[in-house]
Amino acid sequence: MSSLIYFIKESFKGFTRNFSTAFGSIITIFLSLLIIGVFLVGGVVVEHLVSSVEDEVTITAYVLDDADQTVIDETMNDIASMEGVQSVNFTNKDQAMERFKATTNNPEIIDQLDGTNPLPASIDVELSDPQLVEQVAASILNDTPFASIADNPADPSESIKYGQQSVERLFTVTNYVRYIGLALVVLLVFIALVFINNTIRLAILARRKEIAIMRLVGASNGFIRGPFLMEGALHALIGSLLAVAVLQALRVTAMPRIQGALAFLSLDVSGQTYLMIYLALIVAGLIIGLIGSAFAMRRYLKV
Amino acid sequence: MTNDPRMDRPARGRHAGAPNTLTPRPKNQSTSQLSRSLPTVEINEIPQSGTPVITFEHVTKVYPAQPNKPALSDISLQIFAGDFIFLVGHSGSGKSTFIKLLTREIKPTSGKIYVADEDLTTMRNWRVPYLRRNIGCVFQDFKLLPNKTVFENVAFALEVIGKSRHVIKTQVPEVLRLVGLADKLNKYPDQLSGGEQQRVSIARAIVNRPPLLICDEPTGNLDPQTSRGIMDLLERINRTGTTVLVATHDRDMVDNMRRRVIALDRGHLTRDQERGVYGSDV
Repeated sequence: MSSLIYFIKESFKGFTRNFSTAFGSIITIFLSLLIIGVFLVGGVVVEHLVSSVEDEVTITAYVLDDADQTVIDETMNDIASMEGVQSVNFTNKDQAMERFKATTNNPEIIDQLDGTNPLPASIDVELSDPQLVEQVAASILNDTPFASIADNPADPSESIKYGQQSVERLFTVTNYVRYIGLALVVLLVFIALVFINNTIRLAILARRKEIAIMRLVGASNGFIRGPFLMEGALHALIGSLLAVAVLQALRVTAMPRIQGALAFLSLDVSGQTYLMIYLALIVAGLIIGLIGSAFAMRRYLKV
Repeated sequence: MTNDPRMDRPARGRHAGAPNTLTPRPKNQSTSQLSRSLPTVEINEIPQSGTPVITFEHVTKVYPAQPNKPALSDISLQIFAGDFIFLVGHSGSGKSTFIKLLTREIKPTSGKIYVADEDLTTMRNWRVPYLRRNIGCVFQDFKLLPNKTVFENVAFALEVIGKSRHVIKTQVPEVLRLVGLADKLNKYPDQLSGGEQQRVSIARAIVNRPPLLICDEPTGNLDPQTSRGIMDLLERINRTGTTVLVATHDRDMVDNMRRRVIALDRGHLTRDQERGVYGSDV
């Protein structure tokens, strides 16, 4: 117990002894963990977004204006019986126009139409399993009479639209972001390790004489190492707490604004997830601090 | 002479220490191996009986840098509890290697070394600190911490082996009284003379009451008069039952004190003599 107090006392002394390097290692830990934290939060948000986009995957099959209603009904029945299909609805030309009016952001276009309606009617298919979107689209084309009523008779596949392309694009983007983030995290962790290592090395060098005497009078290895491990852990802890504080500040101040600017996306992440991220950052910081100082001790503190 | 504090201080130090010379230190640390200690001034007979504190059995140490020139070759000897031994020899004769082997800073290339019945050649690394708690070490260059006071320097040795504050508060002033520095508790090492610094260093070595005290050239940096004071102190410590091993170049001192002398020459044991002198062979 008394030696624990001694370790803590000694590790605090390290601040005054080597302020600039201690400050440097705290700042690198802080920045590394902050960036890691931003990536983690960003990752969670994107994950969230992707899954909400996946939920909304629907197939829209555009139908000729003068298509036979019985063929449409037959096609819809065929689709409804397919695997992975949740519901099938028909949107006629007027409904399509209504929807367009409701969602468009330049209403002048409607005025220029002079009452004509160029929008095709469509069969809207909602899927229960977004993974099957391609399969369902293919069988609409091949296994139903849809080809005969397609809006574009020359190439019926052109009349079937679904979100797959955009989902795929989103996935490639998020994958890139993930790889870049991972590379950045590895780099930053490495830099933080080097900094902690260097700080502890200097602390060891500054106390060479003391260490020699400690060994001489028979201080145990743990007792000699304790203060340095504690110092590394302390720097890391301070750095990670700073990072968590800044992340929390960003969450409170910046998140609502970003949400305001991107109103059509839901960036909401539960408080529990944030808590997990904060905890992970603190633990990661501690591990970096301990490993960094352990490295330094292996190299510079033979006991 | 009054202008020179270095000449003045050791004398004062000795006076301050003299009344305590025979104050018996509590000997709660002395074990059975030390029971035949407290020898009078004339321990002349060869101590053949008793438990050896140190045993060397055919010890050879070869440094990798000089494979053809062993630092020590085939050394066998025994040192008994309560002995006062001089280890003499030229530079490079193997004195330092001998001492490093005892504190297990290095291991012998071959042979066995026992300190207090423990085999140093097979000792696990984590046990080494506990070995060193039973060996006090004093060096030519004192090895004091300049930013700590006399009291703190001695207390440090107890602090780092986890002794309680109570033990520190009682043992440190006591040992400083023994070495004659009771009035210099709060001085820093650079405010002391060389002899006084060496006394602090000795105090630190014996504050934990080790049964064995090893001194590597303890008077190497000191003038003859001051050296005499240090040797008196070591003799006094020896009289309380501590085994004392002194490696030295100081011919006059060895000749005057007539204690057991172990002479090394280029790694070989050339002489092991009770009541010996420095001699011409080294």
